[in-house]
Amino acid sequence: MMLKMHDINKVYQTDSVQTYALRDFSLEVNEGEFIAVTGPSGSGKTTFLNMAGLLETFTSGQYTLDGIDVGELSDNQRADLRNQKIGFIFQGFNLIPDLNIFENVEVPLRYRGVSSKERKRSVEACLEQVGLASRAKHLPQQLSGGQQQRVAIARALVGKPRFLLADEPTGNLDSLMARQVMELLEEINRNGSTIVMVTHDPDLARRVPRNIQVVDGQLADLTLYQGQPEIDSSCVVERPSEVGL
Amino acid sequence: MLDIKPILSALRRSKVGAILLLLQVALTTAIVSNAIFMISQNLSYLREDTGYPQQEIFSFVVMTFGKDIDLDQQAELDETMIRNIPGVVNSTLSQAIPLSGGGSSASVRLKPLPETSKEGHLAYFYGDENALETFGVKLIEGRNFRPEEVIFSNNFQDNGPTTIIVSKALAQSMFDKGAALGEFIYVEGRALEIIGIVDVMESAWPRADDSGTTGIIPFIHAQNYQHFLVRTEASERANVMNIIEEKMLQAYNKRVIINVEGLDESKDAYDSSDVLMMRMLIVLVVVLILVTALGILGLTQFNISKRTKQIGTRRALGARKSAIVRYFLVENALVCAVGLVIGSFGAVFLGKALMQAYSIDALTLNYVIFTAFFIFVMSLLAVVVPARRAASISPSIATRSI
Amino acid sequence: MLLHYIDLSWRSIKNTPVISFLMVFAIAIGIGITMTSLSVYHMMSMDPIPHKSSQIYYPQLQVMDEGNDWYSEDNLPYQLTYQDAMNLYNADTGVLSSPSFRSGFSVHLNSPDIKPRMEPARFVTNAFFEIFDRPFIFGAPWTRDDQENKPYVVVISKEINERFFGGENSVGKEIYLDNKGYRIVGVTEDWEQPVKYYDLNNGAFVSPEQLYIPFTIAPLEETGTWGNMNSWKQEPMRNYQDLLISEKVWIQFWVQLDTDMAKEAYGRFLMAYMEDQKARGRFSRKKLEYGLRNVNEWMVYNKVVSEDNRILVALSFMFLMVCVANILGLLLAKFLKRAPEVGVRRALGASKRNIFLQHIVEVSVIGLAGGLLGIFVAQIGLWGVRATNPNYDALATMDWLMLLAAPIISLLASFIASLYPAWLVCKTQPAIYLKSQ
Repeated sequence: MMLKMHDINKVYQTDSVQTYALRDFSLEVNEGEFIAVTGPSGSGKTTFLNMAGLLETFTSGQYTLDGIDVGELSDNQRADLRNQKIGFIFQGFNLIPDLNIFENVEVPLRYRGVSSKERKRSVEACLEQVGLASRAKHLPQQLSGGQQQRVAIARALVGKPRFLLADEPTGNLDSLMARQVMELLEEINRNGSTIVMVTHDPDLARRVPRNIQVVDGQLADLTLYQGQPEIDSSCVVERPSEVGL
Repeated sequence: MLDIKPILSALRRSKVGAILLLLQVALTTAIVSNAIFMISQNLSYLREDTGYPQQEIFSFVVMTFGKDIDLDQQAELDETMIRNIPGVVNSTLSQAIPLSGGGSSASVRLKPLPETSKEGHLAYFYGDENALETFGVKLIEGRNFRPEEVIFSNNFQDNGPTTIIVSKALAQSMFDKGAALGEFIYVEGRALEIIGIVDVMESAWPRADDSGTTGIIPFIHAQNYQHFLVRTEASERANVMNIIEEKMLQAYNKRVIINVEGLDESKDAYDSSDVLMMRMLIVLVVVLILVTALGILGLTQFNISKRTKQIGTRRALGARKSAIVRYFLVENALVCAVGLVIGSFGAVFLGKALMQAYSIDALTLNYVIFTAFFIFVMSLLAVVVPARRAASISPSIATRSI
Repeated sequence: MLLHYIDLSWRSIKNTPVISFLMVFAIAIGIGITMTSLSVYHMMSMDPIPHKSSQIYYPQLQVMDEGNDWYSEDNLPYQLTYQDAMNLYNADTGVLSSPSFRSGFSVHLNSPDIKPRMEPARFVTNAFFEIFDRPFIFGAPWTRDDQENKPYVVVISKEINERFFGGENSVGKEIYLDNKGYRIVGVTEDWEQPVKYYDLNNGAFVSPEQLYIPFTIAPLEETGTWGNMNSWKQEPMRNYQDLLISEKVWIQFWVQLDTDMAKEAYGRFLMAYMEDQKARGRFSRKKLEYGLRNVNEWMVYNKVVSEDNRILVALSFMFLMVCVANILGLLLAKFLKRAPEVGVRRALGASKRNIFLQHIVEVSVIGLAGGLLGIFVAQIGLWGVRATNPNYDALATMDWLMLLAAPIISLLASFIASLYPAWLVCKTQPAIYLKSQ
């Protein structure tokens, strides 16, 4: 089991209002799976992504990542876990504009304390894999959007994470480039990495073996839609969502 | 692991902020090290031992307009009267007040004119056998004047004194190894035998280079404008100063008593422009450091707000909070270090320029080093606050779209 | 358009109160410090008598024998001997001149009601008042006849007149200086000058004398000077007469020379005088020298502006530079944040010039505010100066010129600081920011 969330709640609290971004959210992802998470804007997709990627803490529930209960971890331990187990691919690429391509890909390895020789080998290998080895000295803004996203993918892969989180990886790309990125992700998945991809693009989601939908902070597993037309009552929305109090 | 290389390449791509920081640090180092140097020069002057127990001595001026008395006689009567005031240790008439900025000086020779001779500078006070105790200076060789050696006269050249007590500094400036006791020196054409040597005794101009070569000459030339020096128990000085005018006018009333002033006050007045300069420099230094610290804080804040997304991304990619703080500290330290090196050269250059244009001493390097170190620490402190704020940027910023 | 820019500036300042405050603060501190030292410098160095400063001269004579040195920059003594001063004054030169020195008396009305007070007095001739344009409230200077034949007359200041006569017209009344009665011939306005330029020997910043006595009183009363008396050779000093014929220098001297021609003529006269004296056994130098400096030259020669003050002015301008660098940083932060808005404006047709002007106007508003606040800071600074050193009471103030200079320097400083950020922001390509919006 790669990822196991059980009854996760994320509550944003202001003086008078409690808002459930996630409510009793449970999900299991097996090693080697490729999952697409869809859902309308504001449904809690991004919150789910933040939880899964340890970018935010949750209010209650249990989350086990690769056998580690992350609920009790300190900020530093969470940072280390992100660094070692998770690779991120962001919608806006999030390359660091001050650093060149090589230095960008190198960032996670630096935080891991990898030796400079080792870093060089890994970075070059990853850039090779995404087809940008010749652009190592360029700055991000000198590359096209598709190239930038490939750099971001190289950065996500460089630490050899077992778990990849992709947030709208093709959101800022045209369809040709989007297809290239998607093919790259599929290849990575075939090599054994678990991938969870958040997207609002149904065409993209359809290419992925397992789809889940987040609606109002709760989960609907759509794999069964594709497999069999009837709705499995155990997997659909169990309770009507309540937002706010 | 300080990650200097990527920090450097990031700096290369946002030069303006770095240059501004560098400029501020360099200018601040140059100004502050020179200012601190001048302050410390001033301080060491102000703290110098003058030889006098300043808290126990006060002076006043008597201006006599009555013509019906003998001034010499009245002076003796006055001195005796003052000595009898409870709390007074001793009192003397003199033509000048030590440390006050107004006094007399003459050149001093080992042989009379027109013979060639070594010449020196003597700042002198007239006084009687009570002067030594009134001044409170320390006699280290020889003896005090005898009453019969004190000359009352209005003609120094023809009917003047034959003895003098000099300071150690004068003895050393005129004689080998300061062996001056019993020797003669010539002042205004008169041969004076050195009968005593005192330790430190500053002239009326303590700021001057030759303020230490002084002497007391046993000569009383009472005039209608006359200084009195009084030494009291330190605790009694204020009381005696309060009643002195009344007592003096009781003794004889056709005169005016003015400038009743403690010796420390006289010196303070003499030093007031130095103190003013020092205070202005201190204000300048403090405000300058404050402004520079604010500037560093502002620039760091600017850098951070420009890089919010980047910081979130770094956090998402596994950077610990401490790594973020360290990033900004190292970045600042690198820029500062360059600024400090430039500033140190600037400080030496400015010091040289000031020395050439004005009569101040050469800046010594340890002030530059001290200042540079201080500014370095201050800049790190100024960075810590915004850097910690930067570290608390949530990694979930990374998933937020623009 | 300007009004529109000012309106935009005001909105922008309101929208970013912290950064705007920091900028105003930085300018205000920089201007405050700079204006404090600059004001003192200005008061010290400014022309004390602008309408006449180039007509009033101070002669110096090289009276010393060969081999004697003075501590002035050109080796000339700062003052004259009594005999030279009298000879110059009495010579038939046809110009106004006056010897002068400072002394003092105990002043009373010869009645037990008012306690005698020691007052400094200036010994001058009647020409002194005309040379320096001293205004009289009552009466007039004494006459040459008074001076020569019945010299026990006095000109008192307004302050003394207030103290002893309640401000009434006291001309003709008698006042006692030491044990002699003097007839009051005139009451002058108080002489409030930041720099006491007419007597730099006694200190440029000491308070003015309140009594003026004919110079001819000095030998009669055997009055000693309250200023420097320097000797360069050994002479017998048995009595006052010995002093008057001695080579000791202790008398200041002023002469009014209205034209360049008059100045040249007076120079020739001084040379002729020294030649004549040389024939009588004085002025033994091979090369005879004199000095003839007008008021401003005399002030520079006497180093009225202290070194300390020059250093402070230099340091405080460097301090202002640090503040400018600071503001530059803050402006960069502020303007660059606004780049998207500028992109929209550019797209809507604003020219680079429009954008540049808009930002310059905004910085000017901040600069002006900083300058005005800086005047306030400078007032605190000057108060501190006055509190530390009472001699600076008249010096540590801002006159209208300095009040005007503060916002101008401030505007200039903020303009310099804003050039680069404003240029950067008007380089903004409209397209870049519109795309990502």
